[in-house]
Amino acid sequence: MNKKCLAAATIAAMVAAVPTVCYAEDTEVNVIAAEYGQNTAEWWSNFVEDFNKDNPGIKLNVEVVSWNDIYTVVNTRIQGNNAPDILNIDVFADYQADGLLLPAQDYVSEETYAKMYPSFLEQSIVDDVVWAVPDLASARALYYNVDILEAAGVKPPTTWEELTAACEAIKAYDDSIYPWGIDMTTDEGQAAFAYYTWNNGGGFVDENGEWALNSAENVEAIEYAVNLVNSGYTNSDPANDTRYDLQDMFGAGQVAMVIAPNSLPTYIAEGGHEVNYAVASIPCNKGESVSAGVMDRFMCFDNGYSDEELAAITTFFDYFYEDARYSEWVLMEGFLPATMAGGEAVAAADESMAAWVDIVGSSKFYPTAKAEWADVKQGVIDAEQRALLGEDVKTLLDELQADIAG
Amino acid sequence: MKKKKIMKTVTPYLWLLPSILLMLIFILFPIFEVFRTSLSEVSRAGIIKGFTGLDNFAKVIKGPTFGLVLKNTVVWTIVVVGLSTLIGFALAMVLNNEFRGRKIARAIVVFPWATSLIIQAGVWKFIIDSDYGTLNTLFMKLGLISKPMNWTPTPGAYFAWECWVGIFVTIPFVTFCVLSGLQSIDAAYYESATVDGAGFWDKLLHITLPLVRSSLTVSTVLNIIYVFNSFPIIWTITKGDPANRTDTLVTYLYKQAFYKGRTGEAAAISVIGFLILCICASVYMVLSLRKEEQDA
Repeated sequence: MNKKCLAAATIAAMVAAVPTVCYAEDTEVNVIAAEYGQNTAEWWSNFVEDFNKDNPGIKLNVEVVSWNDIYTVVNTRIQGNNAPDILNIDVFADYQADGLLLPAQDYVSEETYAKMYPSFLEQSIVDDVVWAVPDLASARALYYNVDILEAAGVKPPTTWEELTAACEAIKAYDDSIYPWGIDMTTDEGQAAFAYYTWNNGGGFVDENGEWALNSAENVEAIEYAVNLVNSGYTNSDPANDTRYDLQDMFGAGQVAMVIAPNSLPTYIAEGGHEVNYAVASIPCNKGESVSAGVMDRFMCFDNGYSDEELAAITTFFDYFYEDARYSEWVLMEGFLPATMAGGEAVAAADESMAAWVDIVGSSKFYPTAKAEWADVKQGVIDAEQRALLGEDVKTLLDELQADIAG
Repeated sequence: MKKKKIMKTVTPYLWLLPSILLMLIFILFPIFEVFRTSLSEVSRAGIIKGFTGLDNFAKVIKGPTFGLVLKNTVVWTIVVVGLSTLIGFALAMVLNNEFRGRKIARAIVVFPWATSLIIQAGVWKFIIDSDYGTLNTLFMKLGLISKPMNWTPTPGAYFAWECWVGIFVTIPFVTFCVLSGLQSIDAAYYESATVDGAGFWDKLLHITLPLVRSSLTVSTVLNIIYVFNSFPIIWTITKGDPANRTDTLVTYLYKQAFYKGRTGEAAAISVIGFLILCICASVYMVLSLRKEEQDA
C-alpha cells in the first residue's frame, strides 16, 4: 500500500514538474507599470494574456503600481539589485545618471522606433543618446465656461491683456465667480510656471538648454500671475487649491476659465457635473500660444541581458506599439498618442481628440532629461508660493537660479 | 543539578527571545538603517554611493527653511500637547462625575480617536474651505455672515487650524488616560478633605493632581512622541504649504525624500527629530519621576 502511495506521489510530482520545466525554459520579461486610472490594471492583464499566448517561449510579468508608490517600489528594487527589466514611469534622468539604463535603440526595433514623434524622443536625450521611449502624453489647453463668458460679454482671451479685461468683466458680472483658476501647489505648481513663462517667451531653459530660471520674461510672467491673484481674479488659495479642486470648481460653474488637460471632460462627467464649456489656446503675451505637454515613458534597465533576453524585450515593444493595440492603450484612459500612426488612429476614432493630437504635437515639455529637474520643479513652486506671500519675484528667481546653476 | 541551574538561568531568555528578535528586526534594524543612510551619499535612484560623514546634516541645517520648520515643529508640539492635555484633563474631571447620559458622553469623546486621522483632517479641510466649506454654509444659513468668509487668509491661520485639529484628535487619549487615573482615587480622600474644609481648588491641587501624575506623565510622553511625529493632519490640510510655512520636520523630510529625491538629507532630518524626541521625552520622564519619588 505504502509503495503504491509512493509511486502515485512520484507520478504526481513528475506531472506537476512538467509545466515548471517548460516555464523554466521561457525567457522572462518583468515590467513595472504605472497605474494611470481604473482601467490600467485590467488592460495590462489582458495584454499579458495575449502576449504570452502569441509569443511562446517568453513569459511576460507586469506589475501595475499606483503613482503614489511607484517611485518607492522601484528604488527599493534597485537597492536590492532586483530592478525590473522594463519600467513605465514619467522620469528617467535619475536612473540614467546612475548608469542603470540601456540606450533605447539597443532594445527597440528600428520599425517601432520610427513610429514615434521625433519631438517626443528628443525629450529623453542625454549625451546625444535616447534613453527612453514615450508611451503616451497629455496636453493642456484653456477651458472656458461658455455661458459665463457670454453673460459677461467677453470672448475667450488670446492675450494677457484680453485675459485681464475678461477677468474684470466676469468679476463685474458676478462677484461670486472666480474668473480664472490658478494652481501653484506643491504637486503641480511647476505647470503654472510653464503656462505663464512659455507664453511670455521665457521658460525653464534657454535656447542652449541651460537653466534660465531668472530671465526677465520669467520674472514678468510670474509677476503677472501673482498680480491676477492679488487683484482677486482667481481662486482664493492658489497654494492649496489643486488642479482637481479647480476642475471641480470649473465643473460647478464656480471658476469661469481654467487651464486643464484633455481629460477634463471625462473628469467633470465622472464628478456628475454638467457645464457648457469650450476649448481654446492658452493666452499668451509674446509670440504664439504654447501648450504644456506631459509625457510618460518606457525605459529598460541594464540587467546584463543575453541576446535571447534582449530579443524578448524587443518583441515586447513591437507587440505593445502595434498600431491597433497601441491606439487602444492611449484611448483606454483618455490620453494622447506618442506615435504618428497612433495619432492618426486616435483622430479617426474620436473627432474631439483630433485637435488634441495637433496640440500635443506642438507642445513644449518640461526639461525632465536634466538631472536637476526635481530641484527645479520644487524650486519654482517654492518661488511662486513665496511670491504669493509678498516676496519679490526677481529676488526669488535670482536665488533659485544661483542655487541650481551655481 | 548544574544542568538544572543553567536551564533556570537560560529559560527566561528563551521566552524573551521571540520579542527580542522582533524588536531587532522591526525596530533596531530600521533605526540603524536610518542612521546609516543619514551618513551616506544616496543617489536619487536610491543607490548608496558611499560614506559622507555629517555632510547631510550640514546641508539640512544650513538650508534656508530648516529653522522655520524646526520652529513650527516646536510650536505644533507644545500647542497641541499642552492644550489637549489641559482640555482632556478638564473633560476627564467632568466625565468622572455621576450624571445622566455619562456613558453616551464618554462614547462621544472616543469618536475623534476612533476615526482615522486622514479622514478627520480631510473632514476639517472640507469644513473650513472658503469656497465650498460647510462652516461658511452653516454661518450663512444662520444669517451670521452674508457671503463666504476666508477662514485661512494667512499661513498662520492655516497652522492654527491644523493645531486645532491636532488638539481635537488628541483630547480623547488624554481624557481616557486621566479618567483611568481619577477612577483609581479613593473617594475617602475627598470626603476627609471636605470634612477638613478643603475647597474645589485645594482638592484639585493637593489630591487629584498628585494622584493622577503617573497617568498624566504617560499620556504626555506618548503625546509628545505622537504629535511631534504626526504626519497626516498637516499633509492632508496643507502639505506644509505655502512655502514651508506650515511644514513640521516630518512633512519636510517627506518632501525631501519623495519630492526632491534627497534620501540622505531626509534621513538626517529623521535622525535630528529622533534625537530631539529622545532628549525631550527623557528629560520630561526623569523630572516627573523624580518629583513623584520626592512626593512619596
